[in-house]
Amino acid sequence: MEMSRLRQLEDRLGENWRYINSSREKSLKMRAQLKSAVAGIDSEDTSIVIFGSLARNEFTEGSDVDWMLLIDGSADSKHLELEQRIKQEIDPTAKKQPGPEGTFGNMAFSHEIIHQIGGEDDTNRNTTRRILLLLESDVVGRSEAYERVLRTVLQRYILEDVGFCRGSARYQIPHFLLNDFARYWRTMAVDFAYKQRTRFGEGWAIRNIKLRMSRKLLYVSGLLTCFSFHLGFDERLGPLDCQRSNGPQECIERLRSLLRYTPLEILATTLMRYKHLEPTARKLLNAYDEFLGMLCDEEIREHLYKLPPEEDQSDVEFQRARKLSRKFTDGLIELFFDDKSELSELTQRYGVF
Amino acid sequence: MRPIGFSSGALAYADFRRGLSMLRHRDIHALELSALRQNELLPLVESLDGLDLNQFTHIAVHAPSQIDASAEENVVALLTRICHRRWPIILHPDAVHDWSLWKNFGGLLCIENMDKRKPLGRTAEELEEIFQRVSDASFCFDIGHARQLDSTMTEAYLMLKAFGSRLRQVHLSEVNTRSKHDSLSYESILAFRKVAHLIPESVPVILETPIHEDQITSEIQRAIESLPLCQDAELMR
Repeated sequence: MEMSRLRQLEDRLGENWRYINSSREKSLKMRAQLKSAVAGIDSEDTSIVIFGSLARNEFTEGSDVDWMLLIDGSADSKHLELEQRIKQEIDPTAKKQPGPEGTFGNMAFSHEIIHQIGGEDDTNRNTTRRILLLLESDVVGRSEAYERVLRTVLQRYILEDVGFCRGSARYQIPHFLLNDFARYWRTMAVDFAYKQRTRFGEGWAIRNIKLRMSRKLLYVSGLLTCFSFHLGFDERLGPLDCQRSNGPQECIERLRSLLRYTPLEILATTLMRYKHLEPTARKLLNAYDEFLGMLCDEEIREHLYKLPPEEDQSDVEFQRARKLSRKFTDGLIELFFDDKSELSELTQRYGVF
Repeated sequence: MRPIGFSSGALAYADFRRGLSMLRHRDIHALELSALRQNELLPLVESLDGLDLNQFTHIAVHAPSQIDASAEENVVALLTRICHRRWPIILHPDAVHDWSLWKNFGGLLCIENMDKRKPLGRTAEELEEIFQRVSDASFCFDIGHARQLDSTMTEAYLMLKAFGSRLRQVHLSEVNTRSKHDSLSYESILAFRKVAHLIPESVPVILETPIHEDQITSEIQRAIESLPLCQDAELMR
């Protein structure tokens, strides 16, 4: 079996990312548990999709299990029964239930996810489902419906990106897709303020630190996936010419292959490519490991969940988390504005203007 | 022009004689004799000498789509009786219980990719496992099955890229959500065109669309539109 890029980077840097590794182990265990719990409920037209820390392989004891019954086939009144059965099987395995927004923990049809990209009908919930399907999801059980939907969504981002298809732009970047990733990142940031208001500050500190770390990492992985079309980060995948007759299919397959990796793997793959960025790699991954360490500690997690907003300046744990997030952001700035690669140029052109 | 013909079973359910008679006196030179149910195979094999098949330059036989494990040796023995004709034998991989029985057919064995209901043989990755078991086998590309599995035609592209050199025949039809063959829709025609350029002109196309006799000509026209040759594709733009 192929060694993960994250493990390779860890070896190269002589580091021990204890919490990244332990949360990965926990994730694999939990996935196996869920897989056997829901075995036989899904079909060729329905997939049970997981999101969040479990899909990112960053599961900790206090994590919730975000799931969705994805339907890509004829509507059937029995789907509600499937949803209830999955709830019965999955919810008791997690300490926390999916959030109150109703984005997860229920069923979703492929139609909205595929057809409503942009425009008034692309609701916050729909955007969230679509982007998270791309950036942090996996299936437990049958994957046929999931794979069909993902490829069809990717097809839209490729075929409807005229500049990308024609190859008329200076850089080969799927701009439509990148813009949707960027939009989602800003949506998450705005929703943080919205939730702070509507939930009267409850859980604000933990959400804040997640926004600064794991949510930001999600955006980073989306950007790097798009940039990798031009830069070819992953030598495991051969060169690509989108203008060839099979171009669209090759692009869809390339994107699908890239997005099979977790956000941390995508980041590690990029960092492995640039040896001169080893100090940056150390800064980024050490900070992330410590962040996961905080989430693994149930006392700290609970403390951050209950912390009132007015205590942000004086609270030791929150300040520690803030410091980690600053270190993480500094590392990202070093990476994305690195002059020795084309990353800086791409970041300015596509990440800023 | 591509050789385009019909499956006898699509024209006349479980009645190859009738299917054959519907193609008489038409400018159609490709045929698949269908024995999709196990009990259809013996009558088909025994009547071959008496059938007038002169108009066809390409003939294939579709093996039963479900085979009882206890009857598998018998099915293989019946198909062995027609090997001297050098006709491809179209086989659903999920019908097989013992691959060693099928190895002797060599390149005559033509493995078909499956629809989404089936547990194997649906994707390039799953087909790879099958071709490892029967390494000389050829490939029957069912474009309708491939589209049902992935409407972006990426999986179709991956299959043709991986197994294009084995390609011996194409199955063409719309495969609906209940996995039943249907006549070609505009939507499916648009999808099939995406990979048409990967199918060589010489590879016979067998329509599996269940249509009436008076629809044969129009269905062939739709097949031509679905899989245009490079110069036709330019004209259709």
